[in-house]
Amino acid sequence: MAEAAVNLEQVSFTYPGAAAPALEQVTLRVEAGERLGILGPNGGGKSTLLKLILGLLEGASGVITVCGMTPRAARLAGLIGYVPQRSEAELGAPVSAREAVLLAATWRLAPWKRVPRGVAEHADRLLGLVGARAFADKPIGSLSGGQMQRVLIARALVCGAKILALDEPTVGIDAAGQRTFAVLLANVHRELKVTILTVTHDLRAVAASSDRVACLAKRLHSHMSPQGLTPQVLAELFSHDVAGLRGALGGVHIHAHGAQEPCPEAPHGVHGCGHDHGPDHGHPEHKHGDTKTGGGRADS
Amino acid sequence: MREMYLSALLAALPVVVTCGVLSVPVVVKRLGFVGQGVSHAAFGGVGVAALVGAFGLMPATEWNAALAQMCIIVAFCGAAALGIAAVSDRRAMPVDTAIGVFLVASMAVGAVLVQVSRGVAEQRGHPGMVQSWESILFGSVIGAGWGEVVISAAVCCIVLGTLWWWRRPLTFWALDEESARAFGVPGGRMKTILMLLLAVAVVAAMKLAGVILATALLVLPGATALKLTVRLRRAVVLACVLGIGGLLAGLVLSIETDWQTGPSVVLVLTVLFFAVTLAKSRGVLGAA
Repeated sequence: MAEAAVNLEQVSFTYPGAAAPALEQVTLRVEAGERLGILGPNGGGKSTLLKLILGLLEGASGVITVCGMTPRAARLAGLIGYVPQRSEAELGAPVSAREAVLLAATWRLAPWKRVPRGVAEHADRLLGLVGARAFADKPIGSLSGGQMQRVLIARALVCGAKILALDEPTVGIDAAGQRTFAVLLANVHRELKVTILTVTHDLRAVAASSDRVACLAKRLHSHMSPQGLTPQVLAELFSHDVAGLRGALGGVHIHAHGAQEPCPEAPHGVHGCGHDHGPDHGHPEHKHGDTKTGGGRADS
Repeated sequence: MREMYLSALLAALPVVVTCGVLSVPVVVKRLGFVGQGVSHAAFGGVGVAALVGAFGLMPATEWNAALAQMCIIVAFCGAAALGIAAVSDRRAMPVDTAIGVFLVASMAVGAVLVQVSRGVAEQRGHPGMVQSWESILFGSVIGAGWGEVVISAAVCCIVLGTLWWWRRPLTFWALDEESARAFGVPGGRMKTILMLLLAVAVVAAMKLAGVILATALLVLPGATALKLTVRLRRAVVLACVLGIGGLLAGLVLSIETDWQTGPSVVLVLTVLFFAVTLAKSRGVLGAA
């Protein structure tokens, strides 16, 4: 069997001081070159899972490997490129889009060395691939949400990453921008053959740019093709707010063919299996991670 | 008289260059209030230095005494800077609360130690305080000795050299902490370096502008430069030029009016900041 891009076996994680685990018994295999959407409600553990895969969080039980290495080793080897929610960047920084991409490739360079021409050309090629060449010299603070995402993708790939990890990439981007973003990701996937992990709570975004979808609400509830996200399932999920999503994901088991069936463990007359799969309101991730909404600037 | 102003200028020039360069990351990382906390922490260092002096443990020569006092204050400010960073990192309390706690605690420690040192100094017949309270509060660059010129130049070289050495990871980290960490940039080390440089620069700036106004030198040049340009190198150069311009104009103002030098320099820099802000808002100036 070929080596998986990402392999998780029985992974559980609890934040220090938290009463409830953020992730429970998650087993997931992502093949090289696959596009996986990780979907779930706020507080469902999506960003926690991504940070464990990136090696930014440690102390999980179970086994996590990335390209056959520990997550930290894979990250430091440049095998996994990370695109955070864009609200993390200091938008007032006097840095152009090109400089932001180059910084990722050159921060280890000895201080007395100039940036090699090959590295600068590679950064320009990537900026061209993601359609960012036209605004590469603009300061990043002046870019729209969609433009910023393109630059961040180029930055994530500039060290030769085999895996592209995106955290809520479509937050604050309008519907047209989301469609453009899906096309952009398809181009990147076709040209570079990278594995793409997209963490989102946006069903449309994940359906448009994934080969498979992992539905996560602390536990992995299903792992299927986006075609399994039928209009009924989408309608059910979109008709709920965060608290409703908890019930929807907890009470409906989604199968690859798209059928819904009540959870066998659900008490009679209750839509939900009784397990608390939803957000833990005292949880650090819920407070600091998934609730961020980004800058809210319109895509141009 | 001329030599007095010349030595003041030579002692202050490296300070405004150091603070000018550092003011860009300070403004970008929104560390202005941290700088205020660190500069006020210098009171504690002054108190410790006064006590050491009162016990007769300071070096005999003025140059060595100034250096020893500076080292003590830098250590105190550095500890305060790292303490503020550590407390806010662990989310033990909001960063402004942490700064408030460190600021008042250091001032209280400083005030008490200075009072104690006066008593000890009288008993033992040692000089105690090397600086007057007024010079600590508002600076006293006029009359700086050649030893202080050398110390200023050395501090400038250390800060600029460190910034140049770490410029790439530091810029990446300052731009986007979380992503930089994901790429392997040691975020903790970057923060420690920036905080220690901030502490050193604050202590250097105290000579010119005093504890109260030291932060102005670490905020105003960078804030003004970032209104004028969106390029990092230009912002750094502009911040230095603005700092030097503010120093020269402030010195002239101080000589002509007999106002204190530190507040005069800060006043000029403040006027420059508001003039540029006004010009930008009226569309007179575009970003370069």
